[in-house]
Amino acid sequence: MLVAVSILIFVVLRLLPGDPIITRLGATPGVDPETIRQLRKTAGLDDPLAVQYFRWVGGVLHGDFGQSYFNQYSVGTLIAQSLPATLQLTAVSMVLSIILAVPLGIVAALRPRRLLDRLISTGAAAGLALPQFLVGIILILIFAVRLRWLPARGAVPFSTSPAEHFEHLLLPSLTLAIAATPLLLRFLRSSMVDVLGATYIRTAEGKGASRLRVVLGHALRNAMIPTLTMLGLIVGYTLGGVVIIEYIFGLPGLGSLAVRSVFNRDYAVLQSVTLLISAMFILTSLAVDLLYGVLDPRLRVARAHA
Amino acid sequence: MPSLARGLSMPSTLVTLRARRRARGVRSSRLTIAVGVVLVVVVAPCLLAQLTSPFDPTALSSTRFAGPSAHHLFGTDELGRDLFSRVLYGGRLTVLIAAGATAIAMALGAVWGMVAAFGRGLVDEVLMRIADASMAIPQILFAIVFVAAFGANAVRLSVIVGVLLTPTTARLVRGAALVELQSDYFAAAVAYGAPRYRLLLREVFPNLRAPFAVQAAINAANAVILEAALSFVGLGIQPPRASLGSLVRQGYDQIYQSWTYVLFPTLVIFVTIWMLTLLADQLSGGREFRGATGG
Repeated sequence: MLVAVSILIFVVLRLLPGDPIITRLGATPGVDPETIRQLRKTAGLDDPLAVQYFRWVGGVLHGDFGQSYFNQYSVGTLIAQSLPATLQLTAVSMVLSIILAVPLGIVAALRPRRLLDRLISTGAAAGLALPQFLVGIILILIFAVRLRWLPARGAVPFSTSPAEHFEHLLLPSLTLAIAATPLLLRFLRSSMVDVLGATYIRTAEGKGASRLRVVLGHALRNAMIPTLTMLGLIVGYTLGGVVIIEYIFGLPGLGSLAVRSVFNRDYAVLQSVTLLISAMFILTSLAVDLLYGVLDPRLRVARAHA
Repeated sequence: MPSLARGLSMPSTLVTLRARRRARGVRSSRLTIAVGVVLVVVVAPCLLAQLTSPFDPTALSSTRFAGPSAHHLFGTDELGRDLFSRVLYGGRLTVLIAAGATAIAMALGAVWGMVAAFGRGLVDEVLMRIADASMAIPQILFAIVFVAAFGANAVRLSVIVGVLLTPTTARLVRGAALVELQSDYFAAAVAYGAPRYRLLLREVFPNLRAPFAVQAAINAANAVILEAALSFVGLGIQPPRASLGSLVRQGYDQIYQSWTYVLFPTLVIFVTIWMLTLLADQLSGGREFRGATGG
């Protein structure tokens, strides 16, 4: 799968018009054609495509992403600088969306089709239609421009000021969380409704277990299992959204790096960033599949006997 | 809805169920009509921008960053241009790009999916693995890669977005076509001796209309999002041309001068996408589906 993705990215990027070396030197008149030829050679741009491809993939497997075509940094350095911001943003927004979705989903599922459920479900349906970057703009408009509670753009390193660091993180992660919550919420609600109708819930109630214990201990645990699959999808959705969201909020992550590398025609960076984000998405799905077995003992037993 | 069905109080459960279903059908068709009306109200003035816009969208004036008023419905921008007219013209470009992209995605996706379903075996395997691989790359990132490779003007943008939406469409078409290929009527027609390609065009294809319509609405919503996201980042439509996405971008750059500037194009995009999503929801009979998942 990853191999197919890497070939796809590579082929598309080689179709790029424009020469990165010429972009790098700028349109300076009087550049010696010999210098250009030399630079192309050192960057390996003269080799056959297959050679270039295997050099790239071989390097990536060893943790060597190659050299940026645009500046003197290695791609690995650039990615290492940007990765933490992206991971943190993704993680914080996932946590936020779980915090938002789980209680709302439970409340909606407890009394299906009643007023509260209707309100929550309708809100979720409308929220599904909101693309992430529009949510971001609207949040900036409200909280940064009109109310002036939070900063609109930029990032502050954690070491400089932890408080300001999280202040800058709040709006972007809230944006991604708001976009992801409806998906999670709808899924959790419907699986909670199913589970609450199951006979073992009646058994638990019959044994005299408290409402809280039945809902959180029995129902939620079982309802979370199918919801987990959804969570994998949502991480992928959020990873895609990160690209634009980072750009809107001026966060120094992989997304901003990708956009910048397009403007610089730096496809050494672009191809590795794209591959990395796709790899994170594929690995998340894999991790979710594996977690499935851990969370659901029935699947574990089935596998052991197979 | 339940209240209506309860009021009917039919003796047999079957009849009640039927009545309830009918009542629900009425409600949902009303909603579909309402959604359609809103879509037309938003899209038609854009397409007829020459007739509907009160000002020349490029005409400068001295009233910069005016708020909304009866004269300038959406206010004015940093050069004193009428934002309402600019949104109409920008909307026209966005609608055309999205329509082109949807047409391309549906056409390519139909061929891709039908060939996979019809070819079975190795052909199917290869075509679907390609679809899987391209779906593993977040759409917006893939779009950025394509724009980097081919550059962006309106035509290229709609081709790029169309191609990006193709794999999901192909998957759906394949799934729906496989169901048809296993149906009795298909087996009967094959036994009857009808040529298979003819069956595909005459029998299978028309039966795919319903899932096709749903997918077209989802594709259109995604196309609007992708265009807007790309133009917003500065990789799509470039000034002096304007699309909804590039208008949002310009408004965003001036957000501290005029907060209504960014608001109106954003709202227009939101309403359009919302209506398309609702339409897809209605057309699919209220079944769950994955919503628009662009940037």
